[in-house]
Amino acid sequence: MARWISEEPGEETALLEALGISSTDALFTDVPKKARIGRMGIGPAREEPEVVAEVDRLLGRNKPLAGFSSFLGGRITSRYSPAAVDSIVSRSEFYTAYTPYQAEASQGMLRTLFEFQSLWVELTGLDVANASLYDGATAAGEALLFSRRLHEGSRFLVPESLPWEERSVVENYASGPGLKVEGIPYDDRTGKLDLEFVKNAVSKKDVFGLLADVPNGFGHVDDGVTELKSILGDIPLVVAADPLSLSVLEAPGNYGADVVVGEGQGFGISPSFGGPLLGLFACRKEHVRSAPGRIVGATLDSEGRRAFALTLVTREQHIRRSRATSNICTNESLMALAFVVYASVVGPRGLARLQSNLAEKARTLASGLGQVEGLKAPRFDAPYLSDFTIELARGSAEEFLDRLRRKKVLGGHSLRDPRPSTTAPPERILVGITEATSEKDVAKYVKSARGAVAAVGRSA
Amino acid sequence: MTFRQARWDEPMIWDLGPSEGGGPLPEVSGIPEKMRRRQPARWPEISEVEVVRHYTRLSQMNFGIDTSPYPLGSCTMKYNPKVSELLARRPGAAGVHPYQPEATVQGSLEVLWKLERILSRITGLSDVSLQPAAGAHGEYAAMLMVRAYFRDQGELAERTEVLLPDTAHGTNPASAAMAGFTTREIPSKEGCVDVDELQRAVSKKTACFMLTNPNTAGLFESDILQIAEVVHASGAMLYYDGANLNAILGITHPGRMGFDVAHLNLHKTFATPHGGGGPGAGVLGAGEKLGPYLPIPRVVKEGRKFRLDYDRPKSIGKIKTAYGNFGLDLRAFAFILSHGEEGLQHIARRSVLNSNYVAAKLGKYLPRPFRTLVKHEFVLSGTPLKERGVRTLDLAKRLLDEGVHAPTVYFPSLVDEALMVELPETESKRELDGYIAAFERAIGDSPENLHAAPRSCSVTRVDEVRAAREPLLSWKDLRGAAKAETP
Repeated sequence: MARWISEEPGEETALLEALGISSTDALFTDVPKKARIGRMGIGPAREEPEVVAEVDRLLGRNKPLAGFSSFLGGRITSRYSPAAVDSIVSRSEFYTAYTPYQAEASQGMLRTLFEFQSLWVELTGLDVANASLYDGATAAGEALLFSRRLHEGSRFLVPESLPWEERSVVENYASGPGLKVEGIPYDDRTGKLDLEFVKNAVSKKDVFGLLADVPNGFGHVDDGVTELKSILGDIPLVVAADPLSLSVLEAPGNYGADVVVGEGQGFGISPSFGGPLLGLFACRKEHVRSAPGRIVGATLDSEGRRAFALTLVTREQHIRRSRATSNICTNESLMALAFVVYASVVGPRGLARLQSNLAEKARTLASGLGQVEGLKAPRFDAPYLSDFTIELARGSAEEFLDRLRRKKVLGGHSLRDPRPSTTAPPERILVGITEATSEKDVAKYVKSARGAVAAVGRSA
Repeated sequence: MTFRQARWDEPMIWDLGPSEGGGPLPEVSGIPEKMRRRQPARWPEISEVEVVRHYTRLSQMNFGIDTSPYPLGSCTMKYNPKVSELLARRPGAAGVHPYQPEATVQGSLEVLWKLERILSRITGLSDVSLQPAAGAHGEYAAMLMVRAYFRDQGELAERTEVLLPDTAHGTNPASAAMAGFTTREIPSKEGCVDVDELQRAVSKKTACFMLTNPNTAGLFESDILQIAEVVHASGAMLYYDGANLNAILGITHPGRMGFDVAHLNLHKTFATPHGGGGPGAGVLGAGEKLGPYLPIPRVVKEGRKFRLDYDRPKSIGKIKTAYGNFGLDLRAFAFILSHGEEGLQHIARRSVLNSNYVAAKLGKYLPRPFRTLVKHEFVLSGTPLKERGVRTLDLAKRLLDEGVHAPTVYFPSLVDEALMVELPETESKRELDGYIAAFERAIGDSPENLHAAPRSCSVTRVDEVRAAREPLLSWKDLRGAAKAETP
């Protein structure tokens, strides 16, 4: 602790003397006595080795993924990040900087964010991206509010298959202004969106936007999304896209998306128990003045050199206050750096190769699990990339996963909303693949699943 | 002036190598024809070392706390301890997936639980959630909690208004408005809340009063207990914006001052690095009334085991994926362990000492609009500069030439030509004196030099008006602009 606050001999005395006071007590006479507190009960200071030992002791109670065959997937992934990414992210000129308010002193971060914005534009086929939001779910929430600025109405449609966490976050962005989030049903066999439902909903006139996710919450690619814009007309279409999938899938801007949001964690950012993550947001240029968050623009310096600055700030809270397009101040700039370094190191075709390899492995796993009696794998008859959904005929998903865990297999995560108030849906599990998934892991999962299905079936 | 920032003629990354013609994409069987990408995304394919050099060069064209003092008012740019970086990268921290079974993440849950208990003591508020990703995110969640509370009380139809002082951070009114409230600003008197004005403004319509204390003028709101009484007498909630908590650590806390709900910024007070704009981490603390409304899940301890509890019927639900920015929570935890009880109070004392010392010195050059006993930051008015045809902005840019970061400028808006300076506890007297000397040189320089500043950064004065007037927001825009120029 001492090293972080200077304790040079005579230093504090000199500061006090310059102010003509003998103790720092004189600097707190403006805090009324009745507002003072006594001891907080925090405990004594610890030296650096003790702090390291204590944190390592606590973290030692975790069981790291390396000890398991892990099939955890979804919006957050444990995919590999090349060492070069963390090497750049660890440069303290980047990580110890604040928001680049002083453009001249911050060209490094501003340039990086401009390149990041450009990359998301290229992947999505839209025109403009912002400099990041907190995570994919809050980006979806901001997209809802953005859509409402573009179109009248009170109802926002999202797939029933959207992960429950994301649905809850989006509902919280809707609830302030009194907007409603409604689920779009899906086909029980394919998981595809019910486009007839969308047509009916739109004909009732009060829909102001629709969000569809690619791949969807079950991991599947639904080509029905390409038909949504013709149904919606001038109602904004929001696509929540996995960035890696966009290396092989059509850019959503080309099938009518007005906004593309996404979770960027899979590009060079460690899972870190769920944060920090990276919210991605892109839109069309004509709507940029309604967009949330920081945006970096290119301009010139006084000598005509290319330079960059935060721009279109009149949208923002520090200028527009209660009429701002969003309350965003902090974003995830450092994660945006990781994202653009990752994509640049791997390269556009490298990303596509990675996605292709993962999809190949996922198919191997699905066909293996598909042989297990009492398990429907994949649950939906639809194409998939890195993730897919399986369903138990009998017994609870939690118990099934727990039995697998005891065999050192993390078999995915339950899609159930854990809040007790919600009705229990079928026992579905999202299963995901990473580079680390080996043939041995797949074989182990299939073998353990056989035993686990039988066991949970008996206890059901 | 001996400072020179790197000035690389570094191309944009797409100018480093070809981004087309690399051959076809691999086939992924099963992808529906309508969804298949025809061309690889347009992005260069260059070697790893070229990527590394590119971003290393860009990093050299960026100020950080590790390169120079960074006295941005209200941002608390203190040293980010390296040990926190080390710990956050441990495989047992960085490598943990949020959807791992609870039995395999007992360590991470214990860190969250312990940090919540510590922050509960620091804030004096009984319940803490670490879910918000940033301060403004915490504000928004709190406003939703206030809504939910008044809905349950049957008063939501009536309580539609959030009050704030005119010194409030812009995020406060923005968050309140996003949550569906109308906002009204209370004029300040000598930089602090005018309690009579507040008394006149509160009513049955008031849902909440949002306050930063010490406020953005650097002043402690000494009438805070009276303010709390006035707000509570109307049945409204009192919200604490914790951006400036640094000044009062261990001296007072939101609970003792009468606040019902508070956010803290781990990336300010608790030294987690701000990453060039983010990530941050916003802590939400709530007292008895609002505690049940905090986001789910809550971390609970049962015997020696930790568990995520989703059974909170009054909770607003989720505001973010997973459980918050764990990587930053862990850094803040290490920071607090290192300081301990006395160390935390020492932070407040030393940051306030630093601030008053520098304020007294710089007060010789520019007027201080309010009382001179300040907390962790202070405000100066650059108005006298106008006589020389110079503005606060010019002074800020000229300071960059000294190799120090500029203060926050033009905020708070009730001070004309405001400069807001904060030099936290981690700046030694030598650094403070260096900053004062730099300020003296800058303000004493000729108007011509001030207008021409900065000259030592990687670019000269950036034309921000042009950036907004002719927006070029991506590579795609630059390509379009280049095409338009070459017919």
